[in-house]
Amino acid sequence: MNIREMSVNGQKIIPSLELDMEKGKVLGIQTNVQRKKILLAQFAERGDAYLSFAEQGEYTRLTVEELLRFMKSLSGHHTPVRSMLQLFQLGEYQKVKIADLPASKKIYLSLLRVYYAQQPIIVLEEPYFQLEEPDQLAFKRLLEELSEEKQILILTANLEDALISCDEIYRLDEAGLHLLDITDAEDEAENAHETGEAEFKIQKIPTKKNDKTILFNPPEIDYIESINSSAVVHVAGETYTCALTLAELEDKLQHYGFFRCHRSYIVNLQKVRELITWTKNSYSLRLTTGKDSVVPLSRTKLAELKELLNI
Amino acid sequence: MNVSLKRIQAIFIKDYKEFSRNYAVSIMIVFPIVFALLYRTEAGDQAAIYAFIMNFSLAMLTSFVQACLIAEEKERNTLRSLMMTPASMLDVLIGKSALVFLISAAVLAFTTYLFGYETSNVLLLTAALGISILLYTAIGTICGLYSKTLLEASLSVFPVLIIFTAGPFALSFEEQYPFLEVLRYLPSSQLSELLMAMEVGAASGDLAKPLVIIAVWTIVVTIISFVLYKKRLMDQ
Repeated sequence: MNIREMSVNGQKIIPSLELDMEKGKVLGIQTNVQRKKILLAQFAERGDAYLSFAEQGEYTRLTVEELLRFMKSLSGHHTPVRSMLQLFQLGEYQKVKIADLPASKKIYLSLLRVYYAQQPIIVLEEPYFQLEEPDQLAFKRLLEELSEEKQILILTANLEDALISCDEIYRLDEAGLHLLDITDAEDEAENAHETGEAEFKIQKIPTKKNDKTILFNPPEIDYIESINSSAVVHVAGETYTCALTLAELEDKLQHYGFFRCHRSYIVNLQKVRELITWTKNSYSLRLTTGKDSVVPLSRTKLAELKELLNI
Repeated sequence: MNVSLKRIQAIFIKDYKEFSRNYAVSIMIVFPIVFALLYRTEAGDQAAIYAFIMNFSLAMLTSFVQACLIAEEKERNTLRSLMMTPASMLDVLIGKSALVFLISAAVLAFTTYLFGYETSNVLLLTAALGISILLYTAIGTICGLYSKTLLEASLSVFPVLIIFTAGPFALSFEEQYPFLEVLRYLPSSQLSELLMAMEVGAASGDLAKPLVIIAVWTIVVTIISFVLYKKRLMDQ
């Protein structure tokens, strides 16, 4: 699937991309709201994609059963409504008007429209955002089943949501798509055991988000800060916690151009754009990643930094 | 654009359930009936009053319900989802219009019965009202397309109500303001004229003229509503 380059006010927002989609795999793209809207608009132009929008409403005066019957006769789906109710685990709400459903169930029901889609590609915008946990799990299961015959893509601004059901997650920024390296917590424990024997040097920084372990290449990291004595890794505006201490991280990362600029900060020097002098004794480093990412620089480290950068 | 009877039927049933459970909209079927009971008369100007009730009902019921059905679909973003199903835009429009047509026809027939209007030419009356219902459905479609919410839709019907229903009354000022002559060609004025002509038992030539004018209105407005419908939905 091709995505065109898109610029706003002369600034490149999305480069032209190629996305490999295949059946049996749920893809996720984590990106900001603006890029999400651009992607959705591009998908909408294609005839072969069913788009499920976050602000999808519902015929609130119909009952659940009536809605499913309506969707069935519209789409020409063959499964009887009764078995669909069972599959969707909505049996107890069969005769309830949609307006009277709990909020989470209402959204769950709207999401189920994808089940009746005829198109080979299904794009979902923020499917999990407002769902309660049981509904998230139920929908995740349905998506897995659906992915056997359809290509499924989830667009979200929130990585935690993508982690729920995506097999592959990409981060999208102005440079393009970056595959996130994700393993489940159990798999990772096994890996660590094996590598321990082979004396293999791990060059990735393991972080945690929910139950998943995410591995980052050091150049991806913007900076690391210490909050309540645990290390928090900042990557493109998202934060991830890391089990290592700041001292260990500093040791591990110094060969990758990282610098301990403050008692509780390590910064990726490749991403430093500007050295800000507030007063004679107070400095900060501004990063290239965004206007508001500023990292403090302590006075004692200034000399060291200047030496490092030959200034 | 392919049209399927099964999908039209599905939309028809869905809209019927929505309509019958949305009392803010379905209350509109009460007005023509109440008016018929209020203005029941044996006096000589029966035709004029009957024409007023019909014109009022067509705007207040037919156009209003059609506008609300379309606007509500837009308000809840369900139209966008509907467009991604095999249902074509024409399926949706025909399903809705068929429902509105049937409701209007039933209510108008009942109103006529209650009012006690008797005519020599039932066939002609049915034809005139049938064509008028089509016309007002198309007007309702246009109103619905230009409103984003249910509230906007119910307000957008008021200009229609004022121009079309009050048009025939403004004709009484025609001597003072000659330009009001154009109001004579409103479909509502033509409907009144037709009813009056039937009352006095005019020649068939006099009867045909109003019917033709209403039919021309219907064809033109229906085409406009189709074009707008297609265009506005593409923009979404």
